Amino acid sequence: MQSERIMSTIALHDEHNHDHADHGHHKETLISKYIFSMDHKMIAKQFLITGIIMAVIAMGLSILFRIQLAWPDKNFPFLETFLGKWAEGGRIKSDFYLALVTIHGTIMVFFVLTAGLSGTFSNLLIPLQIGARDMASPFLNMLSYWFFFMACVVMMSSFFIQTGPASGGWTVYPPLSALPTAIPGSGLGMTLWLVSMVLFVASSLMGGINYVSTILNMRTKGMDLWKMPLTIWAFFLTAILGILSFPVLVAGVVLLVFDRSFGTSFYLSDIVMGTTILPNEGGSPILWQHLFWFLGHPEVYIVIMPALGISSEVISVNSRKPIFGYHAMVYSLIGITVLSFIVWGHHMFVTGMNPLLGGVFMITTLIIAVPSAVKTFNYLATLWRGNIRFTPAMLFAIGLVSFFISGGLTGIFLGNASLDINLHDTYFVVAHFHLVMGSAAIFGMLAGVYHWFPKMFGKMMNAKLGYLHFWLTFIAAYLVFFPLHFLGLDGVPRRYYAFTEFEFMKKWLTVNVFVTWAAILAALAQVAFLFNFFYSIFKGKVAPQNPWESNTLEWTAPVEHLHGNWPGEIPTVYRWPYDYSKPGHDADFIPQTVPFSQTMSSNLPHDFEGNAEAEKIQQDWEIANPVVENKG
Amino acid sequence: MILAMANIQDTFDPKPRKFIVWLFVVSSTIMFGGFTSYYLVFAASKGKGHGLVLPDAFIYSSLVIIASSITLMLASRALRKLNFSLQRRMLWITVVLAISFGFMQFNAWGSMVKTGATLVGNNAAISFIYIVSGMHLLHIIAGVALIISTLVGSYKNIPLVKSQFRMEIASIFWHFIDILWIYLYVFLLLNR
Repeated sequence: MQSERIMSTIALHDEHNHDHADHGHHKETLISKYIFSMDHKMIAKQFLITGIIMAVIAMGLSILFRIQLAWPDKNFPFLETFLGKWAEGGRIKSDFYLALVTIHGTIMVFFVLTAGLSGTFSNLLIPLQIGARDMASPFLNMLSYWFFFMACVVMMSSFFIQTGPASGGWTVYPPLSALPTAIPGSGLGMTLWLVSMVLFVASSLMGGINYVSTILNMRTKGMDLWKMPLTIWAFFLTAILGILSFPVLVAGVVLLVFDRSFGTSFYLSDIVMGTTILPNEGGSPILWQHLFWFLGHPEVYIVIMPALGISSEVISVNSRKPIFGYHAMVYSLIGITVLSFIVWGHHMFVTGMNPLLGGVFMITTLIIAVPSAVKTFNYLATLWRGNIRFTPAMLFAIGLVSFFISGGLTGIFLGNASLDINLHDTYFVVAHFHLVMGSAAIFGMLAGVYHWFPKMFGKMMNAKLGYLHFWLTFIAAYLVFFPLHFLGLDGVPRRYYAFTEFEFMKKWLTVNVFVTWAAILAALAQVAFLFNFFYSIFKGKVAPQNPWESNTLEWTAPVEHLHGNWPGEIPTVYRWPYDYSKPGHDADFIPQTVPFSQTMSSNLPHDFEGNAEAEKIQQDWEIANPVVENKG
Repeated sequence: MILAMANIQDTFDPKPRKFIVWLFVVSSTIMFGGFTSYYLVFAASKGKGHGLVLPDAFIYSSLVIIASSITLMLASRALRKLNFSLQRRMLWITVVLAISFGFMQFNAWGSMVKTGATLVGNNAAISFIYIVSGMHLLHIIAGVALIISTLVGSYKNIPLVKSQFRMEIASIFWHFIDILWIYLYVFLLLNR
């Protein structure tokens, strides 16, 4: 039906979107199609697959350090086979342990949950859901992927150098990061980390700037801001966050590079190394923390907001109900965006910050609970009495809500300046952010993969394997992270190499063994996903036009991808994207492209947004067509 | 379907791309905001700034960059009146002014070094002057590249929409880095 309608308009001159100067008449070669592609759909796939590979690597790293935590006194000869001198005698060295936690964090936060998540879904969905041929600048978009790719390569290359990767933690606080001779990981590995991050920030900025420009300038006819799906709102605000916060990290990194390589003292003062007193004077490492967390805190929302947007869409589609509180959802995203810039101090409560200032940061932090709770309740209200379809995507979206609640609650503890004195840098923090931004965001990402896989590859994923993947991952994630809260409450610090070295930590060894087994289970569960993903790309069932009976625009584009997304004219949008189970309509969904004139039996007064003429037409029609009872 | 694609008119819409430049301006502003807030917090916590009398070369370079903005504005106006030879002349003058701006910055650094206010030292506020003016100079290089691409377009007779687009992008960016330098200079003057 839809494609017929589109085909009939082929001859029409496309007036709305003429911003694709380079479409249509260029020849596609293998290189321009798969490698240096400028098509947003291909770039999305590149981001996704690179992100998946990085996620697998980072997960592998976490298993390695979990083995060390669970069995600090045992030898595992296979580790030496793989890692050589970093696991001499089958035991992971302490230096390498620090490198593992650092690179695990860096990859997961930046490469998987920022680039892998935003890069994939912003690229795929922004043009398809707002009705554009491609991004504002396809060339910049291509560069964005290749900068990201180079950043990945540089980051991974640090595993192949003598001194090993950066190991001062993913926040790379000076002086560890500023003095190349401080620890092995402060040497070349740290330099590579900084180079990689500069490439990454460049990639992120090119991407983000493109997303914002595309959303503001290239929406199809009828797609006003309040008719955009919540996914687009989330990607839009995420991109704005990135544009406003990443440059500050660049500023911080530039100063750090000068401290490292040219001998300036921006972050350094009064340092004695071994027996030598360093000449650096007058700097302050706390200033790095300010600059870093001014990015770092918005960064965690850069990670979670796209996931929230994706689950809004998935939950609404699979509950067959309009999203509860669409406007409230948007305003709460805006609220989170704004607030995220004035809370960075809660990472620094114990740096000797003025208690009054700590109080201010505490209040702003706790206020973030309000928009977050609005979102949570809206998800639950959308699910409430919905006609729920438990697709794998839906399960993962519900999983996100679960993690967002259980991880968010502990945020209220940590945001409290006085409680933070006890909890700072303990496993409580680790448990908190692994639930609320780690697990929640990765579940959002997986929900997106299962939901839009048919759009990306034109194939369906296997649902049964999806269920297996979900339940194993969901249970294992709780088994891994829930016990860590108790370690934290007992004061066990994060990033410690061997629990056997401290009397009060010894009792937690058994818990560590349990957590490690749960982590191994979680890692094995991902095999189900990886197999399903790659197998379905080639051998999956061919996807129908609109597999989830969804309203948004991307499902009107042909299954077979073409450069420019729609043949002929881009469809016009007439209504918001959440007309599910609208009373009076025969189907339980009405795509955005269906005008109100075709759904007279289900129109409601507020659909016309005060347009008196349309209301009059509707009233006349209702008088002429009295409601027939048993309509169902 | 391929036929259908060919039917789509290829016209050039500069609006989203121009918007990209504006967004870049925003993010660059934020970066310098990050630098200057580092300076403010540093100066407040240590109770001292750079404490220098800034070299005269910075005054001259400020005047030169203001002049370059004016010549660039004249180039835009010439293009609007379709006076291509005047546009080219003005663009060339802008490029020359831009390059002399760069020389003056180096000159300023040189005279700072002579007075002992070097990049590497115990006052991060002094190192800071080198960093921000250096980062700004990187922007100048990008700006010159944009102006040269406008010039190249002008000589190659590309379509008028495109050459206007290049001119506009170069103008947005160049006026931005002009204002940015004035901001940095005044900031350094006020926060000694």
